[in-house]
Amino acid sequence: MDVVALSRLQFALTAIFHMLWPVLTTGMAIYLVIVEGLWLKTKQPQYYHHARFWAKLYVLNFGIGVASGLPMEFQFGTNWAPLSEATGDFLGSILGFESAMAFMLEAGFLGIMLFGWKRVPPVMHYVATIMVAFGANLSTFWILTANSWMQTPAGGDFLANGKFIVRDYFEAIFNPFMVNSVAHMFMATLETSLFVIGGISAWYILNQRHPEFFGKSFKIVLALAIAVAPLQIYIGHLSGEQVYHQQPTKLAAMEAQWETLPAGEAADWSLLAWPNQQTETNTWELKIPKALSYILEVKPTLSAPVYGLKDFAPEDRPHQLGLIYYSFRTMVGIGFFLAGLMLITTLQWVRGKLSAETISQQRWLMRGWLLSAPLGYIAVESGWIVRCVGRQPWTVYGKIRTVDAASNLPAGDVLTSLTIFATIYTLLFISALYFGSRIIRHGPNLEMPVPSLEASGPEDGSTAQHQPNQRPVEAKQ
Amino acid sequence: METLDYFLPQVWFAILALFLLLYVMLDGFDLGVGILSLTSSTEERRGILMTSLGNVWDANETWLVIMGGSLFGAFPLAYGTILNALYMPIWMMIFGLIFRAVAFEFREHARRKFFWNLAFGAGSFLAALGQGFALGAVLAGIQVDDQGHFIGSTWDWLSWQSLLIALTLIQGYVLIGSTYLIMKTSGPLQETHYRTAKLAAITTLVGAVLITITTPIFFEYARERLFQAPQIYVFAVIPLLGILFIWQLLRSLNAQAEQAPFIWTISIFVLTFLGLAMIVFPYIIPTQISIYQAAAAPSSLVFMIIFIGFLIPIMLAYNIYQYVVFRGKITSEAAYGE
Repeated sequence: MDVVALSRLQFALTAIFHMLWPVLTTGMAIYLVIVEGLWLKTKQPQYYHHARFWAKLYVLNFGIGVASGLPMEFQFGTNWAPLSEATGDFLGSILGFESAMAFMLEAGFLGIMLFGWKRVPPVMHYVATIMVAFGANLSTFWILTANSWMQTPAGGDFLANGKFIVRDYFEAIFNPFMVNSVAHMFMATLETSLFVIGGISAWYILNQRHPEFFGKSFKIVLALAIAVAPLQIYIGHLSGEQVYHQQPTKLAAMEAQWETLPAGEAADWSLLAWPNQQTETNTWELKIPKALSYILEVKPTLSAPVYGLKDFAPEDRPHQLGLIYYSFRTMVGIGFFLAGLMLITTLQWVRGKLSAETISQQRWLMRGWLLSAPLGYIAVESGWIVRCVGRQPWTVYGKIRTVDAASNLPAGDVLTSLTIFATIYTLLFISALYFGSRIIRHGPNLEMPVPSLEASGPEDGSTAQHQPNQRPVEAKQ
Repeated sequence: METLDYFLPQVWFAILALFLLLYVMLDGFDLGVGILSLTSSTEERRGILMTSLGNVWDANETWLVIMGGSLFGAFPLAYGTILNALYMPIWMMIFGLIFRAVAFEFREHARRKFFWNLAFGAGSFLAALGQGFALGAVLAGIQVDDQGHFIGSTWDWLSWQSLLIALTLIQGYVLIGSTYLIMKTSGPLQETHYRTAKLAAITTLVGAVLITITTPIFFEYARERLFQAPQIYVFAVIPLLGILFIWQLLRSLNAQAEQAPFIWTISIFVLTFLGLAMIVFPYIIPTQISIYQAAAAPSSLVFMIIFIGFLIPIMLAYNIYQYVVFRGKITSEAAYGE
């Protein structure tokens, strides 16, 4: 294998692995803000216990997220030095903003959020929780800004030597993809987290463990999902429309469209197909008549052509067509499935079937939620595959080719680091599942004393002798 | 405009130096404590060591991320060239940091802690080793072409000079880790770390003396800068101050002072760092690429100052707040609780 392919594989591996953790913590941070807020407002100990219980899963995921995030930043320099040099003026600043504005905020208040329950007044603790959530979501904003710019570069000029010089920062930040991409990812982290929290709650309910307690978290999740699941489909639709206008090669790959569909005609939508790159046709396909024109423009005929892959030189087309095509369908399918599950559950709620007494009887519904817990992750990973594999052969769409962006390294070095990554990540993944399921099996500690909301400082008033790192009692096995 | 071309890269050199210094001091004691945990005699002691870092390691490590991001943005050419040249030491550091980071959570939940103890200690060691090699390799010089792109080979970073610097840096981290633990612990554990601090002070001193002597002998660029008036006066003061600080450090350790050893160690770190920065400046890759060659366009540097520079005091403020909230000693791991 050549070094470019190995560097790509390494980036893909680290990105796919890294993505699993912040996708949960970013959304869950918002959930933690909500339950802690409910506790402060209603003074019900249940909400406090929710905050403490879910924070345990939060911190497990956060640790791995931090650890696996480091290689992401450093790879730009180690494996993609020419890209770093060419785009550093913009991408480097954005990554700098992400760390200084967002990541540091999250890291700086995390200690207080996790271990500061008795160290600071409740209001200050709540501020810390909000800062952690704010920091995490600000990270999404900056990372998606950087990635969107690589999809639709704007705000400056590429010099003859390939170097990008920024003319207008705000134009670069608000590049054509940015707003929708940020919104789509924000919703993705929230939706994934909601269905994870909902799925775990459903597991407890199914097992008759604290059904009333987890009925609460289940309903908070459902209340949010009612807004999030349909909205995500809508934002996803807007993102697809943008790809249609801005990245014709990616759209053609997503739809396995070889021939151009001219403007003014009705376009069929391919539901399933098998793209064949040798023959430049689909070996077989199943089409829904006229659906594509409705999907893209919500009207029976197209106002602009949908370009086919054959309109582009082979070296300008993405190559992993099957991967892009099926990843896209996986993401969309999951989006609709989750929205459907939300709809059915809401119906049952309206019919009064989700009360503390009856919720345990909704076994098939709870099983549905349990099964949907990992689906958000799969949708997010698929979406990123469409987004980044679909951008190939470009690293910066239309401007910098991936082959020109890679560092000139001995292939053996990259193969070594890639192998070590694969080994470490496999170990971490198994460990995380193991320890995560242990936390879940252990369950919440409902006996944990609830801090007084009236106190304005450390309860015992002592500051000289204490334990700086107050691990939650229930974290001790 | 021309003043800006000089002024802005210098400002960013100073900001990056600040980030790096903060990182080396703060994550330095994290890594030092991690390395020291390899010698912990009991599980309880190891628990206390990890507890002393639990709420700060993550924020401390973030200074490295900020340094990386800012280097990428402010000096894109240097970022690409340095990281490309240091492929192996960089990944050595990253793999080490990964193990250290996950060890905190996994050890907490594991019944058999041996593996995660090792991950924590060895990960810290590996990270420190990678950093030391990286520092050594940058000081020894990186081979570049006339465009500033790396043209050396995979193993260029490995030399006896970089090994010497790496070993000394590890000793320095053990020293700062020991003096941090002196502040955070009491009783027999504190006694142990008075001893490790003394030992580390001496080994760091030996390494520092060797580096101070060999650098001007083997690195022509350093010799040229060191033995030139007026720099020679400045550089003459640094080793003298260094000896004074180390003497003060040893005195405070003998007197069993609690805070002073840490403060003297920090002073030694700052001093060493100033010395290095002065040897390197105005280069970012010594004698090959200057900060002016590697800098991003002035508009980018200004934009970054607006967004990052103004955040520095705020970041410092909430980081300090966190240390204030968790000030005081760790009595025992068994005393965890609500």
